[in-house]
Amino acid sequence: MDCPTCEAMVDAYVDGELTATESADFERALTVCPECRKRLDTARQIGGLLRDLPAEPAPDLLRARIERELRGIAGRTPVARRSERMRWMAMAASLIVAVGIGWAGGTLTGRGTSDTDALVASYLRVAMAEHPVDIASSDHHTVKPWYAGRLSYSPPVHDLTSTGFPLLGGRLDVIDGRKVAVLVYRRNQHKLALSLWPAGPAAPNTEPVVKEHDGFSMAEWRHGGFEWRAVSDVSPAEMQSFTTALNRAVDTDH
Amino acid sequence: MARMSEAPTPDSGTVERFRALMLPHLDAAYGFARWLTRDPVTAQDLAQEAMLRALRYFHAFRGEEARPWLLRIVRNTWVDQRARTGTDQPLEVVENQPADGPDPEQSALAGDRRRQVAAALAALPADMREILVLREIQDLPYKQIAAVLDLPIGTVMSRLARARERMAAELRGRLGRREHGLPDL
Repeated sequence: MDCPTCEAMVDAYVDGELTATESADFERALTVCPECRKRLDTARQIGGLLRDLPAEPAPDLLRARIERELRGIAGRTPVARRSERMRWMAMAASLIVAVGIGWAGGTLTGRGTSDTDALVASYLRVAMAEHPVDIASSDHHTVKPWYAGRLSYSPPVHDLTSTGFPLLGGRLDVIDGRKVAVLVYRRNQHKLALSLWPAGPAAPNTEPVVKEHDGFSMAEWRHGGFEWRAVSDVSPAEMQSFTTALNRAVDTDH
Repeated sequence: MARMSEAPTPDSGTVERFRALMLPHLDAAYGFARWLTRDPVTAQDLAQEAMLRALRYFHAFRGEEARPWLLRIVRNTWVDQRARTGTDQPLEVVENQPADGPDPEQSALAGDRRRQVAAALAALPADMREILVLREIQDLPYKQIAAVLDLPIGTVMSRLARARERMAAELRGRLGRREHGLPDL
């Protein structure tokens, strides 16, 4: 076997695509062809490195979205189909930012994975629900009073339409056994949930920390005497601009 | 593939069969979408659109291997999306992402090496990236790769050879030769 022939067989050999006879021929040729030996080693090494990359499973939100679509398609009559689809598309065409305004006494330290999961779960209730908000309004004069008597504190409510995050309304959620106010915002094709609760009057502001978790963008920071946690399927960059817009609104208010 | 308008409306029985046969491969579909788009948010949109398209075409599924059938739809959906939007995700976004997944027992060095391998793969041209992912990560044989990419087997083989050569060059640029020990080509 000449070198061009054995060179052409390296990949098929590594990939187990040669017949037993072809493999035996190739292995014989290899003993007298150091160049092809090197090619073979390289191909094997690259395969090893790529197979060693961690697999990223489908995020829960994606699974939930698809489940929702399948349930919708399986359950609907031909008449209902169009409106169902339109409604889904309308929903997909909006990003809802849900801001949870949370419990008194929560602290920044000691908040671990279970809180992250609780926040994601809270976001999924917003993202997946038929009615993502309990009080639907972009007017903070309507949303803010709604919380009176439902929470032990009065959450600051800001509409961020001018910066691309219109307020859709608010809802209550229970996270970690504590009653939390959640404000829901909309951005393009996505929803965003933000939880917040009083941090104490003397607590200093912190810079928003934006991270990715299971395909969600999450932000965590303290500003204007409140702890803020935002969850969404927007990009981290958009999440960052949301935190900036919210901080600015809070500062203007003071 | 048939045009969408010719596809019969899936009934609840079809949806149930689809759920049983195709949903187990959602991780594979998302993983492939993740490497095609190189962005977790875009990948979710792509995987979702592909799953719905797969359901619409499910009447044409003839009991062949489900995973490559689904991956082919993911790939075709991606080609359509790119034609619609015109551009790829800029690469900087990918490069700046944190390392994937938890690897508690791995040293920082191994974590860094994985990041470099992922970055090298992400930097490859799309035709090389997709064929390497199908072969090395999705572990498909040539015949199924040929079906997913709609290519003759001979082209699969030569493109894989080129892709590996390019990947080796990318890796040499990112990792020191001494550290990864890749031989010269």
